[in-house]
Amino acid sequence: MVDLFNNLALGMAVALSFKNLLLCFVGCLVGTLIGVLPGVGPIATITMLLPITFGIDPTGALIMLAGIYYGAQYGGSTTSILVNIPGEATSVVTCLDGHQMAKQGRAGVALGIAAIGSFIAGCVATLVIAALAAPLTRMALLFGPADYFALMVLGLMFAVVLARGSVWKAIAVILVGILLSTVGTDLESGEERLTFGWSEVADGIDVAVIAMGMFGFAEILRNLETSQARDVVHAAIGNLLPNRQDMAQSAMPIARGTFLGGLLGLLPGNGAVLGPFASYTLEKKLAKDPSRFGRGAIEGVAGPESANNAGAQTAFIPLLTLGIPPNAVMALMVGAMQIHGIIPGPQIMTKQPNLFWGMVASMWIGNLMLLVINLPLIGVWVRFLKVPYRLMFPAIVVLCCIGIYTVNNSPFDVILTAGFGLFGYALVKFGFEPAPLLLGFVLGKLMEEKLRQALVISRGSFMTFIDRPLSGGLLALSLVLVVIAIVPSIRKGREEVFQGAD
Amino acid sequence: MRDASNRAPRGAAIRSPIDFAGGLFLLAIAAFGYAGAFALPFGQLSGIGSGLLPKVVAVLVAAFGAVLVVQSLMITGDRLEQWSIRAPLYVLASVLVFAATVRSLGLIVAGPLCFIAAAFADRDSRPLEAMIAAVVATLVCGFLFKELLGLPIPFDATGILGPLHGPYEALKAAAKALVLGSF
Repeated sequence: MVDLFNNLALGMAVALSFKNLLLCFVGCLVGTLIGVLPGVGPIATITMLLPITFGIDPTGALIMLAGIYYGAQYGGSTTSILVNIPGEATSVVTCLDGHQMAKQGRAGVALGIAAIGSFIAGCVATLVIAALAAPLTRMALLFGPADYFALMVLGLMFAVVLARGSVWKAIAVILVGILLSTVGTDLESGEERLTFGWSEVADGIDVAVIAMGMFGFAEILRNLETSQARDVVHAAIGNLLPNRQDMAQSAMPIARGTFLGGLLGLLPGNGAVLGPFASYTLEKKLAKDPSRFGRGAIEGVAGPESANNAGAQTAFIPLLTLGIPPNAVMALMVGAMQIHGIIPGPQIMTKQPNLFWGMVASMWIGNLMLLVINLPLIGVWVRFLKVPYRLMFPAIVVLCCIGIYTVNNSPFDVILTAGFGLFGYALVKFGFEPAPLLLGFVLGKLMEEKLRQALVISRGSFMTFIDRPLSGGLLALSLVLVVIAIVPSIRKGREEVFQGAD
Repeated sequence: MRDASNRAPRGAAIRSPIDFAGGLFLLAIAAFGYAGAFALPFGQLSGIGSGLLPKVVAVLVAAFGAVLVVQSLMITGDRLEQWSIRAPLYVLASVLVFAATVRSLGLIVAGPLCFIAAAFADRDSRPLEAMIAAVVATLVCGFLFKELLGLPIPFDATGILGPLHGPYEALKAAAKALVLGSF
């Protein structure tokens, strides 16, 4: 316990430096902004800002990027409530009751309870991260290369099972990501692989190139296909603070939402996305009068928003303790760490305590900042919603181009990004999801290294993966997961959950 | 959303066009990947060579692709989604324009050109509005990346803005002095 306090104190000291405070603020602000704007997501934004973080130290960079991520969750609820368009995938559920509340003139209350619920959830989640970190890391240090490889396989399988769409297609896409990660120079032998003679990729494809192409450009292309009609609520926003009755009604939903969201956020794959749905379903089941849901029930906003934010923060746990990114955004954080020369994994806590505890502390500070930023600035965000997309997306394109160019001063990188944009567009047209590819890409090199090491240690025997209890167990679990996902009855259940998202 | 109107017609040879295309796509990627690693050594199990992972993964991708193609002939699925031509064409062209001009002509030309080319992708774009926004966006981005972040990007490679350089540098120096002086 004393250790925990010491570490948190260290974290606070790091996070409260002027520079890191500023970066946290910028991250939260930018995050809220892109959360508010439909059509621009945290993945696209983080990829756009990745090149910018080159000039900043790793702790500051990650603080800012993290701020963008959970800031976007806050911002997403604003658009859901006011415009009935989910700003983020996780804010879909908030549209249901939140927009109804807005139509009844209670937009302010909805926004207020969303912010308060998110803040409470964020605080709890930060404490959870701080508490779980040490035990998880100690456990992770017991992992040998074979176990690590098996853990990565399990993580990828979780991501597949919890993602939308066909399990087989997701696995195929992950494999493509791993294939792309082999492009470049092999570390062991120094031979060039899959470069086809292009010297520009001799160092491998930059994660920023793939990310910006597939999530930045491809996203713009998809948005241009669907014209978005926005019906911004013009009714009075009303009082921003919920009254006592609202708070009383929301207290338990917030608590339950935090618990659910926090738990689901730990799971690799988009566990954080499932949180709001699970919370809404639970609240509806537990309510004395379920018919109120869908017509402006405050529990339908308080619970899901808390789940949302709790999940966003606990999603950092697998990243910071095991080095395994649970979703595409965390995969980008891994990319950012790699760019700064930090190897993600259990040793981060011991070798880079400033980074680890600084991030944890700044998450709490970020939550506080978001509460303060969101409530007064609502009017500003609403005005931003009125900027037409036809002016926004070319600006995003230019920003992406500049960003990519500054990575290596290379026009080739820019062209390659365009290529990946087309690739990402094609991928979606053919019915695949692009997010697992990024996971496969980011983990590919690490997986190959662990595979190599495991086989060297076992002198070429594949049995090592089954002999060792830890890796055998993890691989068995992966298999079980895949089987469960394919079994028809459960498959229908998955589809239902995601139908609710449509 | 899966609604009936998107399903392939009954009795068609290819029951699921989207899966058929997807499977072919995977096969193409696998072929590409294998070709790129063709000459590399497989190595032995106790010391895997540089070619092992790319080749094995490529084969696995090909396997998935083949399964998808076969499945598309047997199980009914969705039709292929429509590809729009306009949006991808203009957006990707704008990126290529940027890549082609940024080094030789600098950001001051590449930025607006890229913006305007991309704006064509949206039918609702208005020319005058786009041109103004293009210049503003370029100036803001240029300022952000070059001055605030110090990242190297050629702003004015051909010196079109030649005469403005002097006053701009003077303005920068004054602003810096003001900001630093007040601390």
